[in-house]
This record gives sequence, structure tokens and C-alpha cells, in this order.
Amino acid sequence: MKRLTTAFLGAALATSVFAAPAWAATEISFYYPIAVGGPITKIVDGYVKKFEEENPDIVVKPVYTGSYQDSIVKAMTAARAGNAPDAAVLLSTDMFTLIDAGMIVPYDQIATSDADKAWLSSFYPAFMANSEANGHTWGVPFQRSTIVQYYNKEAFKKAGLDPDKAPSTWDELVADGKKLTVKDGSGNMTQWGLEIPSSGFPYWLFQALAIQNGADLANQNGTKVYFNDPKVVEAATFFKDLSAKYDIMPKGIIDWGTAPKDFFQGKTAIMWTTTGNLTNVRKNAPFEFGVAPMPAKVQGGSPTGGGNIYIFKTDNKDKQEAALKFARFLTSKERAADWGIATGYIATRADAWDTPAMAAYVKDFPAAAVARDQLKDAKAELSTHDNQRVTKALDDALQAILTSDEKAQAALDKAQQQATAILRRYQE
Amino acid sequence: MTGVAVRSLVKAWGDTRAVDDVSFTVEKGSLAVLLGPSGCGKSTTLRMIAGLEDPTSGTVEIGGRDVAGLTGAARGVAMVFQSYALFPHLSVADNITFGLSVRKTPKPEMRERLDKVAELLGLKPLLARKPGQLSGGQQQRVALGRALIAEAPVCLLDEPLSNLDAKLRQNLRREIRALQQRLGITMIYVTHDQTEAMSMADRVILMRGGRIEQNARPSELYERPASLFAARFVGGSSMNLIHLDNDASGTRAVIAGQDEVAVLPRPGRGLVLGLRPEDIEIAGESGDRPAGHVIGTEADVEEIEYLGADALVTCRLDDHRLTARTRGTAAPSIGARVRIGWRESAMHIFDAESGWRLDPAGGERSRHAPHVNKDTHKERETST
Amino acid sequence: MATRTARRLNMHVQGWLLVLPAVVLLAAFTHVPVVETFIGSIFSTPQAGHPAHFIGIQRYGDMAADPIFWQALTNNLLYALITVPVSIGLALAMAIWVSGRIPGRALLRLAFFMPTILPMIAAANIWLFFYTPGYGLLDQVAHLFGFGSTNWLGDTSTALPSLMAVTIWKESGFFMIFFLAALQQVPPDLYEAARIENATRWQVFARITWPLVMPTTLFVAINALINAFRIVDQVIAMTGGGPNNATSLLLFYIYQVAFSFWDTGYAAALSTVLLIVLAVVALGQFFLLDRRIHYR
Repeated sequence: MKRLTTAFLGAALATSVFAAPAWAATEISFYYPIAVGGPITKIVDGYVKKFEEENPDIVVKPVYTGSYQDSIVKAMTAARAGNAPDAAVLLSTDMFTLIDAGMIVPYDQIATSDADKAWLSSFYPAFMANSEANGHTWGVPFQRSTIVQYYNKEAFKKAGLDPDKAPSTWDELVADGKKLTVKDGSGNMTQWGLEIPSSGFPYWLFQALAIQNGADLANQNGTKVYFNDPKVVEAATFFKDLSAKYDIMPKGIIDWGTAPKDFFQGKTAIMWTTTGNLTNVRKNAPFEFGVAPMPAKVQGGSPTGGGNIYIFKTDNKDKQEAALKFARFLTSKERAADWGIATGYIATRADAWDTPAMAAYVKDFPAAAVARDQLKDAKAELSTHDNQRVTKALDDALQAILTSDEKAQAALDKAQQQATAILRRYQE
Repeated sequence: MTGVAVRSLVKAWGDTRAVDDVSFTVEKGSLAVLLGPSGCGKSTTLRMIAGLEDPTSGTVEIGGRDVAGLTGAARGVAMVFQSYALFPHLSVADNITFGLSVRKTPKPEMRERLDKVAELLGLKPLLARKPGQLSGGQQQRVALGRALIAEAPVCLLDEPLSNLDAKLRQNLRREIRALQQRLGITMIYVTHDQTEAMSMADRVILMRGGRIEQNARPSELYERPASLFAARFVGGSSMNLIHLDNDASGTRAVIAGQDEVAVLPRPGRGLVLGLRPEDIEIAGESGDRPAGHVIGTEADVEEIEYLGADALVTCRLDDHRLTARTRGTAAPSIGARVRIGWRESAMHIFDAESGWRLDPAGGERSRHAPHVNKDTHKERETST
Repeated sequence: MATRTARRLNMHVQGWLLVLPAVVLLAAFTHVPVVETFIGSIFSTPQAGHPAHFIGIQRYGDMAADPIFWQALTNNLLYALITVPVSIGLALAMAIWVSGRIPGRALLRLAFFMPTILPMIAAANIWLFFYTPGYGLLDQVAHLFGFGSTNWLGDTSTALPSLMAVTIWKESGFFMIFFLAALQQVPPDLYEAARIENATRWQVFARITWPLVMPTTLFVAINALINAFRIVDQVIAMTGGGPNNATSLLLFYIYQVAFSFWDTGYAAALSTVLLIVLAVVALGQFFLLDRRIHYR
């Protein structure tokens, strides 16, 4: 514990070196994580260079801060030590944590010009759902994703299914899944129908099931959750039934990292995972694959995910101004298109898809547009006050349901009770 | 009756032969000492008898039985190590009874035998102590106790006294010899200390370079050393060794450069004369010359080492130095010219080149080469 | 008289001055943080607009009612009780094996020591592959013998033992080095003396080797025990404490509370408990190790 703290303090001290004020220009620091493959650092450095050319009076110091989890730890630790970054890319769901720590500034207080307002309203509303709370806008979408279905067209053909038609309802999912599940002579499974990862933060993929069943997991202000809503319980039961009842998915916890490997190896015919994996799958799948929107129960849909840009509180108005300028630069339609093509994240605004670069990309790789088209059905990712503790209550319940005989109702009742206790002090 | 018989034992590591064709027998109930400088193969021989080391070739028989493939107790052998090899975490009692308990001897019998051995060695008051709390001599007794309690017919001791001071060594020497005789154990005792060998052994097996140099009773070893090596190694103060030469006529042996002192009535070139200091007399100290032919000459006293009862007087005879042992009170003074002499029978003659003993009278080679020992033993065996 | 007192005082001052740098460092990086940790545990976690205020031992009451804390503690105790003896046993067995005169023993020693050289994260990744259901090494071997797939890390009943196996694999080689050194301290005569008495291999081990390496065993056991309560990296790398807290260990839970939940006060309270556990282990070391298991 002590060692950890020291390590993080050390990291904070190290980063503070970059935050030293330059003599003439306004210098700002920018933290960003890397959550997907690719030469991210190079791309970011390129953006910074271009920004500095356009704004010679501003110097940006980009700091790569590790995973999302490492990044929030570094940003919060640095902020507590009085060395907050001026802007940072952090999970959209870290919003309430940052609000409660009093570390970030809402955009609506600093982005007041007409141009600024137009910029704030240019993003897809599904993404903005995770930026707004208590009547303020706390973050702007930068590297955002949703969940889609990846499926092995060759496996579909072999199973006698139409390779151009992924399951579009839960019933089809189960029926196709059964056809796609293959056993060898001795009864060992050689190909599963479906894999939905459940390690680490199973709530996210589960939320897709809940949304499809017409349920919300939390309110917009992050003060209430609905974990034991009957529709949620039904979705959880279905999640468990995929392995326990229909036997089309491996039992127990499916690892996030393993699912794509299983997909490439032909161990599973369908996988649900983030659009952030699009480039990875395109590069590594040794067969023809399809990308499809999520199937529906009462509706289609998926939660969004990924990171927003936050602007940290500071007394230096110049820095705040510069940070806002940089955030606007990073989320301009050209950059949004470029970033989406380079990484597989969804370009965050409609006009980005009209840029010539993006149009050419989609023409060449139509799967990229599937995630965009699904955005009309997308919902905000589960995000509340004391977010990680509340989601952990749900994660634990889901893992208990998936790995033991515990009934969905009982497990979710318990999670609801825990979450309610945690959130009590945030309800006025 | 034979206690231990070793036949053509060889231990080779690669090309080097630590033990090279060694054969000897040890009579039951007797004490044999394996004597020699370090590296002569005596410890390796002992370890092969113990079964700790497998011979490259050759056999070990104990009580008339070939014991190949067996170790220690199984071949009827107990052993005392140079370092004592006491178990530091066990009490004296547990150390002594270690072997018995390993072999699951019943408790009452174990207690009884422990009692006996402790009594025998005077260890009774120390039984509860740990080895670390004992003096060197006490540790030695514990090691001995551990060997004796086995009541094995053969007991092997590997330089058991080398870590003790002189006084203690002398006492324990006597004690071990007494115990051996009282209990009638066959003992093989390894040492590099000739005093130990001479004072304890029934037979001394002198080794050199992996081979047996001489196998004889202590008195025989002293009186008729088989080689220059044996002559140098055995005896309290080392033997005077003087190169001989022919006289002018070429018919008599003389001390080189001392033509007037005829030593032998035969040519002497290539011979070495050996004289023990105690066999050299200095004239004047006694009026009466002992009987027998005395060879003598004059020499200058150069150095005197006073030892109390005795004194070692070093005399100069041209290029040669001769040391004589006299009574301490009768030593001459340094620089005095004295007459020295010795009896013919006190002379040992060796071949300078081979180092083997020659018969002083004739030109024949003495029959004392090591391979001969085997034969003499065989004769002895058949006669008993 | 007065000068003597003065001189003695002078000597004391000098002595203290000499140890001052060490004392300052120790205090600044060990003692002060420990005290601060405890103080942090009896104040509320500060938040925007809510500065810390005194809450007493309330957190310790919360802890007693926190099922995840109890699970992490139980997991950790199990972890210690199984990994420590097993890795010590393996380490000793390997040390005895490679201390003998066998061909290629240098290679064997290296092979046994290899896991120790690997960084934990690298080791965790190797084992992640071993444990992958379906085509991981373990399942491939299982398939050869006609067994089905096992979701080693994805099942609450196998996840913790799977992590234990990694620790044992990693620590045994390290402890082996200590035992190798200890075995080399045992005079070879002792083994020969035992051979002379025709002691069996087991008797030699039980009556000579084991008691003589006891000080090393104790030293290693204490260190292993402390390590068992300080494990966090492989939990983060391999399971994230899941499924359903099945692999949550104390330090990992502290990390989670501190840097995911940002409840630094509760994390401080948990740290205090962990410190107490470690202090008890360390005291055990003082009392047991100093009680003359040394024979020389």
C-alpha cells in the first residue's frame, strides 16, 4: 500500500516536470491512455505538432499514462498534489468520480461563444449521454466505442446459415448458436456458438442485454440504480442460460483478451466485443468475418463506452482557454475521422463521416459503419457516483450468477441493496 | 584368523590411481595402522574398507566374507571420522545411539548399551549435552562411543586424534589401544603420525603414492626399514643419510671424501648409509666401548639441540653432517673435536637410485620390496 | 566528575548524530507513513466541499461487516497456508536433487531458478496462456488424456488454486537457492556417518538434513508468509480479483479501494489491518528465529 502510494507519487512528480511553465507561451499538459493497439503515441504527437503550428502561443506536453485505470490514478494523484493535468482523456464513466473530487470544470461554463456551443452540440447524443449530469456538460467524447457482434462467415456457411445475416433477435441468437456449436466424437466442444466476455467489468456487455430487454441500469444523474428491475433480472437469467441452458457459450468467466483469440482460432463463431477491436479483428482473422449490430429482445442497442476529454480546474485562465482550444482541435471533424480510421473507435460526430477520408474508408470497409448506425439505439454506459464501487457490486453479482448456482434474482437483489447503500449520501 | 583382508585394491579417478594394487590382511583382534604422508592413499583405502568408496577393482573381505555392495554396519564395520562427524543438533546420548535407533534396536537394550559405553568412556555426566558444548577430547570420546556401541567386529579410525593437542593425544592413544585390546576389536587406524603408529600398532602398513612401502611390526619397521622413505618416515628424529663412495682402491665403501673411514668391505658408489642418531656414539662420554665392531672417525661439534633427557649433537664431517643423540648431561660443547663411532650392526644400507634396502654384507638386494610382503603374510597365514 | 559526565554526554550526542541519517530516512519513509495511515483510517475521506473530519474507529466496524474484506482475508490466509508449505517443500526437494552429483546439474539449477528471474507480469502472461480454456497448455495436455476443457481462471473453485500454482512455481526456485546454500553448509561427514550406520534415505532426511536446514526453513517460511500478504501484481495481471472476488487478496482489495473507489480512508483502515498482520508475522520471526535453532 505504502509502496504503491510512493510509486504513484513518484509518477506524479515525474509528470509535474513537464508541467513547468514556459516563459512566453502558455504551456498545458495532456494525459492520455492507450487502450487499443496501434502507434497511438505517434498519432497523438502528430496532432500536438499540428495544433502547435496553428497555435504558436501554446505548448502542449502530451503524457502517456498507461491504461485507463493507471490514467485516472495518475491524474487524481497529480491533482491532489496540486499538479493536475490541464486536460486528460479518461473513461466517460469516471465523470462522477471527478465531479465529486471537485477536479474538473464543466464545458458549459468555459465554452460560451456561439462557435463553442455549436461545437458542443455537434456530437452524437448517445455519446453525450455520458457527458451530462446535473444540467452540465463535463466531458466531450474523444475515443468512444459500442459493442457489436463479430461473426465468422465461414462457420455460418458450414452450419448452413446465411453468412450475410447475423442473428437479429435473442431467439435467432439461440437458434443460430445451437447450429454453430460443434462437438467432436468424444463429446468435447470444438466450436462454441457465442462468447460474451465477462472478466474484469462484465457489467458493460451485460448492459447491452439489459438495454435490449428495455431496461435502464441507472438514472442520468447517477444517484439511483435499477439492478433488480424484473427486466434486468430477466436479462441476467438469459446471460446465464446461454451457457447453462442452451449450452452455446463456455461456462464460467470468459476473459476479455481470450475472446478475440478464440474467435481467430475458430473456437467461437460469434463474439460480442467493443468496436475498438475492429482493426485487430480485421488484421488477425484468417477467415471472412462479418460485423453486425446487436440483436434485439424488445429493442436493439448497446451501451457506449470509451474515453472523454476532461478539463481540470485551474486558476490560470490562459491555461484553461488553451486546454479548451486543444479539446476543440482534437474533436474537430477532421481529427475525429482520422482518429476513427487509425484506431477503430467510432468517429464521434456525424459530419466526420462526411469527410472524404472517412467516406473512402467506409467504402473500402463497410463494417466500420455498423457501429455508427447502431448509435441511434445506443444508451449511456452505466455511470454513477462512486462509480467503480457501484459497478463492482453489479460485477460481483453477475460473476456469481455466471459461476455458481446463485439465482439471478437473489444476486441482483443483493447488488441493488449494496449500491443503494453506497449511493444514499448522494441523494439530496 | 583373519579380521580384514584386502586384495589387489585399486581406486582410480581418471588416470590417477589414488590406491594402486594394495593387499594386506589384519588379524582378528589386532590393531593395524595405515601410515603415510597426506595423499598416500591411506584414507581412501580405509574408506573402501568402510564401504564409503567403491573400489575400481579388488576385494575387501571381513571375517572371511566378501563384503562388496555393503556399507558400514552391514559389513560389520564401525567408523570414527577425523572431524568426529557428530550431529550438532543431537545430544551426546542421541549421537551415540544414532546407529542403534536407525536400526530400530529396542529401547531397553539401547539404554543398556549406552550405559555401558558411557561408563567405559567416562561420558556419563555429558549425555544430555550437545556436541557444541564439549571440548575436543570429549567430542573425540563421543565419536569413539558411537563407533563402539555398534559392537561391530571391525572398527575403522581415520586420523582420530589429529585435531587434539599433544598431551591429550598421548592419553587417548593409550586409552584407545587399551580399549581395543580389552574388547578384542579388530582396528584399522589411519594416521600420518609415526609416533602414533609405532606406539599403538600390532602392524604398521606404511603407504606411499598409493602403494604399500612396507608392512611390518613396529620394531621391524624401526630396525629394518625397507627403503629410504621408510627410514626417513619412521623414528623419533630422522635418520642420518650419507652417500658412500669407493675408496682409492675401488674395493671398499667409504663415506665420500673420508677415505680413511672404511664402512663396508665392498665398493660403495651408489649406496646410501643410514644411521639413526641414537646409534651414533660420541667417544669420551663412556669409557667402555660396547661389544661389536665399531667404525669411527673424528668430527667437529657444530650444533647442539638440548631436549632435556637427551641432546641432539650435530657434527661436521667435511661436507657431511651427522646427528647423534646423547644423554643430555653428557653433551660436548660446540666447536669441540670429538670422536664418533657406530656399530656395524647399526648400519642401514640403501640403493641410492631405487631407495630400497640392501643387505649390508653382500651385494644382494634385500628381500623387502612391498610385493614380497604378500608372500611373507601368506606364509604366516598358513602357519597359524 | 563533571568532565566525565560531559564526555559521556558528548559521546551520546556523537552516536546519535552518526545514526541520524538512517533514523531520518527510516522515519520519513516508514514510520511517518505508518502513523499517517492509521490517522487516515480514523478520519473521513475528504471530498469536494467535505473536508476530512474525525470519525473514530467507525471504519473498523464497517470492515467487520464488509463481506469482501472477509473474503479477501480468508483468501489470503488460504493462500499463505497452502503456498508457503508447498513452495518450501518443493524448494527443499529441488535443492536436495540438484545438490547431488548428477549430470547437467548446472542446467537443472538454472531451470529451477528461471521462474524467479522472470518479472511477475511476464510469468503471469505465460500462465495466462497455460490456463486458457480450450487450447491453453493445461487443456491441451488434458485433451491428450481424454479430459474436457477447464476454465481455470473463470471458475470460482479453481481460480484461487490456479493463482497459488503461479506463486509456488515462481517462489520455489528462489527458495531453492537458500536451501542449496544451507545444504552446502552441512558437513559431508555427517552423511557418511549416517551411511556407515546404514540409515535409509528417509532417515537421513528426517534426522539430519531437515533439522540442520531448520534455520533456513524458518527464515524462508517467514519471508514466504510476508510475501503471501504482499502479492498484488499477479492478481491484477491475471484475474482482477474475480470471478466474484474469488481471487481478491488483501493488498489487491486495498489497491481497489484506494485507487478504484478512491475511498482512501477505508483503504487506510485496511492497510492498518494488513500492517498488524505483517507485524505479527515479523514478531514471530523474532521470537522463533532467535530461539536457538542454530546449533553452532
